[in-house]
Amino acid sequence: MSVDPRFPPQTDVAFRPQKPQVKVKRGGRFLPIYTGAVIAYLFIPIAVMALFGFNNPRGRFNFQWQGFTLNWYRNLFEIPELAQGMRNSLLIAAVSTLIATILGSLIALALSRYRFRGRAGFNLFIFVPMATPEVVLGVSLLSLFVTLNMGRGILTIVIAHIMFSISYVVVTVRARTANLDRSLEDAAQDLGATPLTSFWTVTFPLIFPGILAAGFLAFALSIDDYVITSFNAGSTITFPLWVYGASRIGVPPQVNVMGTLLFLFGAIYAAVAIVRGRRQENLSPPPVLSKG
Amino acid sequence: MSPAPTTGPPRLSRRKALVPYLLSLPGGFWLALFFVVPMATMFSISLQEGSLEAGFRFTGHWQSYTEALAKYDTQLYRSLIYGTIVTVATLVISYPMAYWIAFRGGRNKNLFLLLILLPFFTPFIIRTLSWKFILADEGIFLGALKDWGILADSYQVLATPTAVVSGMIYNFLPFMALPLYVALERLDPALLDAASDLYSSKLQSFLRVTLPLSLPGVFAGSLLTFIPSVGDFINPDLLGGVNTTLIGNVIQREFQTTFDFPEGAALSFILMAGILVGVALYARALGTEELSGS
Amino acid sequence: MEERDDVLKEIQRLAASSPQRRGHITRRDLLRRMGIGVGALSVSAFLAACGVEGSSENGNGNGTQEEEGPSFAGQDPAGELDFANWPLYIDRAKGKRPTIEDFQKATDIAVNYREVIDDNESFFGTIREPLANGQSVDWDLIVVTDWLIAKMARLGYLEGLDHELLPQFEANAGAVYKDPSYDPGNAYSVPWQSGITGIGYNPKLTKRELTSFEDLFDPAFEGNVGMFTEMRDTMNLTLLGLGVDPQNATAEDAERAAQKLTEQRDAGIVRDYYGNNYADAFARGDLWATMAWSGDVFQLQFDNPDLQFVVPDEGGILWVDNMAIPKGAEHPVDAHMFMDFVYDPEIAAQIAAWVNYICPVPAAQDILKEAKDNYTKTVANSPLVFPTPEMEERLHHYKDLDEEEEEVWNELFGAVIQG
Repeated sequence: MSVDPRFPPQTDVAFRPQKPQVKVKRGGRFLPIYTGAVIAYLFIPIAVMALFGFNNPRGRFNFQWQGFTLNWYRNLFEIPELAQGMRNSLLIAAVSTLIATILGSLIALALSRYRFRGRAGFNLFIFVPMATPEVVLGVSLLSLFVTLNMGRGILTIVIAHIMFSISYVVVTVRARTANLDRSLEDAAQDLGATPLTSFWTVTFPLIFPGILAAGFLAFALSIDDYVITSFNAGSTITFPLWVYGASRIGVPPQVNVMGTLLFLFGAIYAAVAIVRGRRQENLSPPPVLSKG
Repeated sequence: MSPAPTTGPPRLSRRKALVPYLLSLPGGFWLALFFVVPMATMFSISLQEGSLEAGFRFTGHWQSYTEALAKYDTQLYRSLIYGTIVTVATLVISYPMAYWIAFRGGRNKNLFLLLILLPFFTPFIIRTLSWKFILADEGIFLGALKDWGILADSYQVLATPTAVVSGMIYNFLPFMALPLYVALERLDPALLDAASDLYSSKLQSFLRVTLPLSLPGVFAGSLLTFIPSVGDFINPDLLGGVNTTLIGNVIQREFQTTFDFPEGAALSFILMAGILVGVALYARALGTEELSGS
Repeated sequence: MEERDDVLKEIQRLAASSPQRRGHITRRDLLRRMGIGVGALSVSAFLAACGVEGSSENGNGNGTQEEEGPSFAGQDPAGELDFANWPLYIDRAKGKRPTIEDFQKATDIAVNYREVIDDNESFFGTIREPLANGQSVDWDLIVVTDWLIAKMARLGYLEGLDHELLPQFEANAGAVYKDPSYDPGNAYSVPWQSGITGIGYNPKLTKRELTSFEDLFDPAFEGNVGMFTEMRDTMNLTLLGLGVDPQNATAEDAERAAQKLTEQRDAGIVRDYYGNNYADAFARGDLWATMAWSGDVFQLQFDNPDLQFVVPDEGGILWVDNMAIPKGAEHPVDAHMFMDFVYDPEIAAQIAAWVNYICPVPAAQDILKEAKDNYTKTVANSPLVFPTPEMEERLHHYKDLDEEEEEVWNELFGAVIQG
């Protein structure tokens, strides 16, 4: 189409002279407001949690605002089991995320790029752990560990977390690799690259956002996990286990503070990732045929 | 369907044929050892009879299944219904948001994505407890409304099905939003331009082009939402009351309180069977080829 | 003959008992302590026993009931102790636990104290499997309620206690806590704290006083009543509400109780069935009236002075939580040392002042009465911590259930709370 300078083409909406501008704009305003509202809704409990990390309750229940204090920030590790639980949770999440993301991504690649015997069966096999209630996963693993005479602790928790994360990683990465255009990689190979090189330079960057998303998911799942962990933790304490126990009798404000700090940690990490992503975008514009 | 490669070897060489197996080996082995073996153990338990103190013996009878089905049908139905409501609700809520971020997010796409994920860096126990706090009978919100006479003194949100379902929707929202976004983001805008040229309205181009192409994401998101919500027991436990018991609560009780392991194991397999059947039907309805991208 | 010896022992113990046991000893007291139903003993046997000067070889059931009591003599403590307990069941000050600290200082034993027990059933679920397989669990010392002690002992899941290592217990425990019916001779356990299951309510929300079990069934409180998931608490209290003595309850009585509970649930009166988390809901105002444990309510009054505890007219439950050592525990000697440590009256008073449940060391009450601050004085004089005889009249033990009965009751109760 020729470009009329008075009506520059919209980059995100096809230029349609018949439709009046106003209608498009109105539709254009609703969605962002809606998105903003949903995101705000997602943050409501976080805001409340953060707020009551500053509360100064009289007794052991933290549900009435009774005064502002930074005491809980100062004495964050006053409760030894809570601090220990937090340490354990972070360690477990880091290890299990790394391993599960690697294992799961490999499987996702195998399933989406190759035809091989047993593929359909394997496909189903990957899916089944996700279709299993966490309670059952937890109890069945416990039976296994007891039979093997393995003491329950950090190791068993990590094993369990990796197990249930793999399937989620596979599904998330596959949504990305499903419609990936193989011709790009083939073109690279035509140009003389080895299969491995063409994979790393062409395909991997394209699917990396999917892998990253899968990694986030695995990390969040691990930090979160209560059910499976509770069956396989032995006397080891993790953060969710401690909080669940405390919730029955009164959650101390330190928990609010820790939750807030976890959240801030995520926020900072996210901000850094965004900034680095922007910088990279500015340096190397995305290839024409791919989505940026 | 991706176009068949026009270049490259017509037949996989020996070494290449091994590649998918090698790729799948580590993960597959992990799952085999830490999923299949325990599951097999559970299955054999479901065919046992006995009690904790008398001991369990393998008999191969299926009565645990029939008894469980009869006894807990209410909870099974309730779980499936709640799961469906939660899945549909999260789909409806997430889709416009994922759509907007994927197509209009521009340079800030990753930012929005991270904003959605950010609250979920704090454990869901804390988030759910926060909701419990917010929705407390005499809490900051309801308490104020009651003091002003807007609500009756005995009005409550907690300990009702509404609270449980709302909690689940909140907790599983990113599980739906993320796959939706990933699928939508993959779409080539050139396709959409072509669609706008061909179809008479934005709605039509959405229905005919965007929606079908986003189905893998819808499917993935539905899986990731439906399945955990059917088996959930934390939300009913923290936010629910008497008539909100789900099958997850039953199974937990069987294993930790009544110690009727055969029945608990049977219930687990019944639940999984129900889920698999439901998902298979769903996949059939959506068209399997489009979903697996084969 | 055995019955008469038992009665004799009980009388001697009660006669020699502490100033805490004010008032005369009634026949019901006696029989209740034995866990025997009224009427099981004939009057003549009782009178005969009363008149006999007995020699009692088993003064205090001191482990001589077994042919060979377990002995850990000569073994040194390992220096470590893994201790599982209920939440808020030991004194706490500024994030530390004074009694644990005192113990560590006195013995150089490092204590890994974890509040992982939320209710007996679910805790038992976490340790059942290894114990059944003959493996050791992660805990050296646990605190569970009397009926679970009996059950675990029956299953062989507990280590026998060496009473040579428990001199303070022998010296200072209240007579009623020695040689209880659920653990003869304290072969496997010594009491930790005792408590009452009754009714807690908030008069500001209920708009009236509550005195009867029936008050928990008042439709005016629809959706704001709490009941326990602990089967024995709820079933036994309901039986009392129906006018049935738990010790005599038949299968039909149990069914009637379950029926009554089902009606309560179907009428929408029950908000939920709770474990320890009832306290949170109660303090918040989510619950207007609820089944409650005496010590909890006493503690909660600190946060919310409106809350009240009452033993229902029809009767309440008196239970005992006990320390025990799981079979195959890694550090049994250390466990014994801790068990004995808390029977020092000073330590017992320290715990009682904070935990506010019924203390098994009578001498502790005197120590508490001498305290300077009002709070501790209140504790010393509170009938919730040191019950009056009038209250004790209305208190009953759990019915001791054999395997079959337990299964039946669990089945009935499970159907009620399953929803």
